[in-house]
Amino acid sequence: MTDLLLQCLVAGRHAAIPASDVQSVIEIEEITPIPGTPDFILGLTALRSQALTVIDCSLALGLDKTVAEDDQRAAVVEVEGHLYALLVDAAYDVGEALSQPVAVPGGFGAGWQRAARGMVETESGPTLLIDTSSLIAGPMEEAA
Amino acid sequence: MDDLLADFVAETREMLEASGGEIVAWEADPSDRARLDTIFRFVHTVKGNCGFFDFPRLEKLSHAAEDALSECRAGRREADNALVSAVLAIIDRISEMTDAIEAGEEFPEGGDDKLIAALQGSDDIVVASAVMPEAEPANDQHAGEADNDEGSDIESSAPKPARAQAVQRSIRLPVDLLDEVMKGVSDMVLARNDLSRRLREAGEQPTIDGPFDRLSTILADVRAAITRMRMQRLEHLFSSLPRLVRDLSNELGKQVMVDFEGGEVELDREMIEMVRDPLTHIIRNAIDHGIEGPGERLKNGKREIGLLRFAARQAGNQISLVVSDDGRGIDTDRLADKAVAAGLYSRSEIDRMSDRRKHMLIFEPGLSTANEVSSVSGRGVGMDVVRANIERVGGSIDVVSKPGEGASFHLKLPLTLSIIAALTVGAGGQRYAIPRSYVEEIVFGSSSNVEFATAGDRRLVTFRDKRVPCLALGDILGIDEIDDAEWDSKTLVLIRLASDDVFALAVDRVFDHEDVVVKPIAPAVMETRLYAGTTLLDDGRPMMLLDLPSIATNRLHMGEGRTTEVVEEEVVEKGRKAVPIMLFAGLDDRKRAVRLDMVRRIDTVSREAIDIEGNRAQAVIDGSVFTLLGLEFGELPKDRCRLLRLTDGESEVVYAVNEVLDAADMDGEVIPSQDDPLIEGVTLVGDSLVPVLDGHALFARQRVQRRTDDVLSCRIPGDSDWARTILEPLVEAAGYRIAADDGEDADVEIQLAEIAQPEQSAGARSVIRLTQDPDNAGADGGTIYRYDRDGLLAALKQARLGRTA
Repeated sequence: MTDLLLQCLVAGRHAAIPASDVQSVIEIEEITPIPGTPDFILGLTALRSQALTVIDCSLALGLDKTVAEDDQRAAVVEVEGHLYALLVDAAYDVGEALSQPVAVPGGFGAGWQRAARGMVETESGPTLLIDTSSLIAGPMEEAA
Repeated sequence: MDDLLADFVAETREMLEASGGEIVAWEADPSDRARLDTIFRFVHTVKGNCGFFDFPRLEKLSHAAEDALSECRAGRREADNALVSAVLAIIDRISEMTDAIEAGEEFPEGGDDKLIAALQGSDDIVVASAVMPEAEPANDQHAGEADNDEGSDIESSAPKPARAQAVQRSIRLPVDLLDEVMKGVSDMVLARNDLSRRLREAGEQPTIDGPFDRLSTILADVRAAITRMRMQRLEHLFSSLPRLVRDLSNELGKQVMVDFEGGEVELDREMIEMVRDPLTHIIRNAIDHGIEGPGERLKNGKREIGLLRFAARQAGNQISLVVSDDGRGIDTDRLADKAVAAGLYSRSEIDRMSDRRKHMLIFEPGLSTANEVSSVSGRGVGMDVVRANIERVGGSIDVVSKPGEGASFHLKLPLTLSIIAALTVGAGGQRYAIPRSYVEEIVFGSSSNVEFATAGDRRLVTFRDKRVPCLALGDILGIDEIDDAEWDSKTLVLIRLASDDVFALAVDRVFDHEDVVVKPIAPAVMETRLYAGTTLLDDGRPMMLLDLPSIATNRLHMGEGRTTEVVEEEVVEKGRKAVPIMLFAGLDDRKRAVRLDMVRRIDTVSREAIDIEGNRAQAVIDGSVFTLLGLEFGELPKDRCRLLRLTDGESEVVYAVNEVLDAADMDGEVIPSQDDPLIEGVTLVGDSLVPVLDGHALFARQRVQRRTDDVLSCRIPGDSDWARTILEPLVEAAGYRIAADDGEDADVEIQLAEIAQPEQSAGARSVIRLTQDPDNAGADGGTIYRYDRDGLLAALKQARLGRTA
């Protein structure tokens, strides 16, 4: 197992995004809101000449929004040709996955279950592996 | 044609290169089927292209080779070495001829027949051996180059190597790569803008500013060049059409000629691909439904052969493409019947429609005038799809038809897919972009011509006797609730959809016209059905592009075919040359008019941006200073002032008004008026007399003050501080030039009574005497108190008149 993971904090929990999905980690300065979109889409931010759709990970999981800190870090991922900035509470290092993602009996709890690929072991303990494309779809699918 | 020829040469070369290795391999093993197929395809393609270009010799050669090879493929003939050699000789000859074609030279006559004879397997070994020595080294060269990725030209076998230098080289690139480069350049432009802002903040730094300017210029050039790279001539699209037309007309038993015009017009490559299908459909439609069979045509006194014309023109950022046929035109009655049958409209609705409106029915979904579904058109894909596709790329389509004479489809296409002309508007503190093609007019909610009304919850606005639904942008986006009172402060953008529906969009502010680069947005954002894309502002911040058709569909159930009765029937009667004018209310609220051509734009500025002092009145708009006129009629409003920016083509002035009322056509006479120099005359608009501003006089007055040549000179006492610091600016402002000391003849001389005059120096044509003591003024034949500004200006003016008279 040599899968690299970007370890981060989402809604106060340790989580990981496959590093192969992540183009870069940026600090978001200014977000242009897009009225009419679901809550978890915070708006647009510009990275060089590209516009990124900013997704609040906690809200996308259907969890409460965490208090915004000063430096808002986001992982830039590309899903189906569109660029997204996944806003996390904090972004840590890139680490190695020490196991395959496995399901945990009883699930990970509402919200997490849908966007999680499973639990992986890392050096800093068990971590939830986030599936970026289901995260981006937001909590709406369940409602539908 | 040259372009096509270059393409032909490039394509042939490319194939030669690609098949170079194959040829050698085939030579090694003549029984190899895969190689044989490749070479067969090559000669086959060359043959096809030659037919198009009328190169009989090339065609004959490739045809012969193709015949021989197809014999082999069919197994009727064994590929022996003699045949391989003969085919190779022909391929080499093709390569040489291609070089000659590119260089525009005649290829030496003769030799072809021998090459062809060699193919027949005759024992004319002399020929084969005569050719082979030349062919073989060339083949090695081909093989070597095929391995080389750079794959440049294959001039090696050309008899005159010197010619190769003159050849214009071209390479083919994947569009993705171009896009990537383009994106890189866009990034560079943004980085440059950022840098430029920082440099400005840091103040002037000559050592950096110079190179930076150079960088900016280079970047602009590169950007323009990259944009050009993406362009392609329409010829590329046109070139595939004759074949299509031929096939279709054969299938339908009709005879059709095609005629092209404007193939040199350039269009974004992607745009060309986007219009290919719609265009094909229009052609199918025209040949199937429009152009009659030969018999019918003859009976109607037309030429047996129908004509399909394609004409392209570029107008600014738009390409207009007209496809017209000389067939029977659109069968309006049948179209109307179909519409009724399909339940789209009631009979009475149809009856009320104008012909033009009926023609537009062709774009409604679910309609086809063909009675039977033919194999060519009418297979479920209707003109509605054509329109949808054209609109998707930001274009529009229109149709004009005359019964018995034909129909023509007018397509308007933006130059590129990604750059659109947009109007930026503000709502809820944010900016949004609206494609300018939808914007019909912009009016202020406070204008007295605009009336708001409500019907149920629907807000309506009446403007120029038209009642249209009104939507507030803030409301649509859910960011702003609007009180009844607030409507007045809004600006209304009248939007005309492609379906001819009109509605008013109320926004907080209209900012500017801008060309924006549109980028796609994430699906989750698309789902809101409010936005069509996103774009970046100059400062790098994102801005959303509104999807007006979809907003109209969701909010008003407009567009999508269900047309309301707002459709304006075209006003056909264009009597005498009507001059468009703009009606406005001056500061005294009286109605006046100005020729619309003179109005460059309407600005709204805050009162602070206007500075009035004495006779000088100026306004600052976007960092430029304009002379302000129109003040003689009354007081400026206290907070925001509306200004007409007038231009004579060179200079601009602004004219203060209370309100912009309307645009109208001035079709009556202008009755000249002598009394007011600023009025050209009065004209009748509707039933009321309206004075029309005299543009000439407005700008003429401007010029007097700005004139620098041939000004009157005035000498002022040189040894008085008061004269230098206080008097001099006043005199200059009055249009005088301060005369140099003593030596020069001045038109006017100003003397101070209290200072002893060094007797009359150099001549002055008139003298104004100023005094410090108000009591002394008037005495002594025209001495003026030095702070009697009016008196002094009057005297200066008098002097001027005295001279010009």
